[in-house]
Amino acid sequence: MIHPLLPNQLQKTQETMRMAAEFILRPISRKYDKAEHEPPLEMEQLNQAAAAQKKDSEIADDSVKSMDLGGRNLWAVISLEQMCWGDVGLFLARPGTGLGNAAIMAVGDKDQKAKWGKRWAAMAITEPGAGSDSKNISTTAVLEDDEWLLDGEKIYVTDGDRCDCVVVWATLNKSMGKTAIRSFLVEKGTPGFTVARLEKKLGIRASDTATLIFNNCRIPRENLLGGKEEIEKDINAAKKSFGGAMQTFDNTRPMVAGMAIGLGQAALDMTRALLAEEGYKDHFGGSIHQQTAIQSELEMLEAELEAARLLVYKSAWMMDNKMPNSKEASMGKAKAGRIGNKISLKCVEICSMQGFSEDHLLEKFSRDSKILDIFEGTQQIQQLIVARQILGKSSSELK
Amino acid sequence: MQEYKTEHPFDITLTEEQQMTWDMLRKFAETEMRPQAREAESNGRPSADILDKIRALDLIPLIVPEAHGGMGLEQDAVSNVLALEALAYGDFSLAMSVSVPLLTTQIIAKHGSENQKVKYLPILASDSMFHIGLGLNNTSISLDPYQSNVLAEENGEEVILNGVKTGVAFADEAKTFLISASNESGECNLYFVNSDQEGLELKEKEFMGLKGLPLSEISLSNCKVDTSKKLGSHNYSINYQSLIDSSRIGMSALALGVCQAVLDYVVPYTNERVAFDEPISNRQSVAFIVADMAIEIEALRLMVYKSAALKDLGEDFHKQASLTHRFAAHHGMKIGTDGVQLLGGHGYTHEHPVELWYRNLRAIGIFEGGAGV
Repeated sequence: MIHPLLPNQLQKTQETMRMAAEFILRPISRKYDKAEHEPPLEMEQLNQAAAAQKKDSEIADDSVKSMDLGGRNLWAVISLEQMCWGDVGLFLARPGTGLGNAAIMAVGDKDQKAKWGKRWAAMAITEPGAGSDSKNISTTAVLEDDEWLLDGEKIYVTDGDRCDCVVVWATLNKSMGKTAIRSFLVEKGTPGFTVARLEKKLGIRASDTATLIFNNCRIPRENLLGGKEEIEKDINAAKKSFGGAMQTFDNTRPMVAGMAIGLGQAALDMTRALLAEEGYKDHFGGSIHQQTAIQSELEMLEAELEAARLLVYKSAWMMDNKMPNSKEASMGKAKAGRIGNKISLKCVEICSMQGFSEDHLLEKFSRDSKILDIFEGTQQIQQLIVARQILGKSSSELK
Repeated sequence: MQEYKTEHPFDITLTEEQQMTWDMLRKFAETEMRPQAREAESNGRPSADILDKIRALDLIPLIVPEAHGGMGLEQDAVSNVLALEALAYGDFSLAMSVSVPLLTTQIIAKHGSENQKVKYLPILASDSMFHIGLGLNNTSISLDPYQSNVLAEENGEEVILNGVKTGVAFADEAKTFLISASNESGECNLYFVNSDQEGLELKEKEFMGLKGLPLSEISLSNCKVDTSKKLGSHNYSINYQSLIDSSRIGMSALALGVCQAVLDYVVPYTNERVAFDEPISNRQSVAFIVADMAIEIEALRLMVYKSAALKDLGEDFHKQASLTHRFAAHHGMKIGTDGVQLLGGHGYTHEHPVELWYRNLRAIGIFEGGAGV
């Protein structure tokens, strides 16, 4: 049945999350935008509220019942969309769950999931010399006396300072390309692992972004996450192993796209509220002759946001129903990333000096939004993925 | 946040029946309509042959109640948008040859008085699907789309109609017109006017697109009709905004079908066309245009589905229909122009259909009342 609508149950989740966003995140939004690198302790409260909500709705598991109600991933997208209506930076700074957790759940074995699933795990992929082309990383992993020896530098690690452990991508042999890449779990406090510095950023200042150094860092042999200790000789098996690691992104992209949608909605809502003080009213469906320029602009932005939202919901719904969603996840991320940024910047312009002013959060939204079109795969990477799938091309044909 | 209630989970799966209808109509569009698109355009109307085949689909008799000579299978809005998308994949004009009479039939079946239903529905359900010409498009550039620039002056038992409508499909075959007109208090209603009515004049018009079906202007000069000729009769008032909104969902679904046709055409073309020693789609500047087309088409599809699903729930769908229509107009035209661009000079000529789709897609956001749900 074609019914791209949210059932009452999920609408209730939305309302609860929106309240938390409004009453827990918004009041401290500016504070932590100013106090960069200071951990927002209030976020623990939010975790408790989220846990309670999960328990209430009983839809946070993979049971048949939960599928009937909308599924775990759609539930997650909708929840964090509302959280990020409150504040993206604070949401990212919420203790307990990082991107590394998604990786552990996606590629870890049973023991690894049990051991680290509940710890706060950051994800370290990017290096000074390798960003979107993650197969070019230089951090090395060498098996020596039942231990892995890690050496290298990782940058832009979200939660890199505050987390309990980090999922680190490293190569077994750089000359072997992506077939040699593996991910490893490194616990905080491991000798040879240091946090070198924290970045000062354009936005999401509540979230810590760290540079990590691994210097002769030894970790237990069983900390290799998924994949084999040797490089597969069979080229297909090798490809599959890297593809497996990349699959994590099919799961996380709808989430990041959901953040952009929440932020875009927040900017539109705040713009309308500010405009209402000067007598503004929406005028949907009018022709451009009846609408004011602003009514027309906001209608178009709202349409774009709604389009992005439906793409993202669909990609999450596909995950819930165990359908391959790589193309759809990238479609949603591409659309939501660019539209969240466009909306938030346009809203600053529409609200003029009020928009530009730190008296309101519009200017902050417009700074925060930029990262959502960059991390978890830039706009251009998403377009590449979609284009390759639509055109039936390999990465060597369409570079 | 939402203003609707539903117990049903989020879902985007076609029912078995919808899938069967979709497959059948999509095949019809590809094998019967697409090859006739150019010929219909040069003749200014569909051939008798394709019209016979369209009639044989029985789409109109399907929705006419049994009491009025049809099969009485009223379709939900979701099934309607699926059918419209599938047909427009073949050709916009030919799809409208059935979507306009279908909309007319839907309007009369839903809003007509008992007399009007008895009088018109059996005719529409039989072979004369163009018996009634639907006049919703205004000639005025700046008028509110929820108003008509035909004025209805109610005078006792009589209504006097004055003004001009345009873009009336198959007006030359119509024996009666169903025309929207606004009264003094700004209420917009529909009125039946016979084609031989004194003061009524028809003029065939040419447009940049939708040339595969005849479109006319109809002017009304002091046309006096009985108040019983008002759709739904004397005291009935139609929700004209809702009618236009529903038609906008229909037009968006047609746009979707055409956009999908553009995408499915440029993918093999850019993969086969070689420049600088490799397929042009190996270049990001080309490939990214194709990717964006695919993204906006998928988004438009979900917008169309959602609008239709909201309407089926019986909820207010004005805002959703407006957003969908706006999105369809903007991105539909973008896809139309990018389609020509990707083919370069070849796309500019009649050798390929992309210039035809380009001209037709310009109608989205402009043409009202070309399809309904």
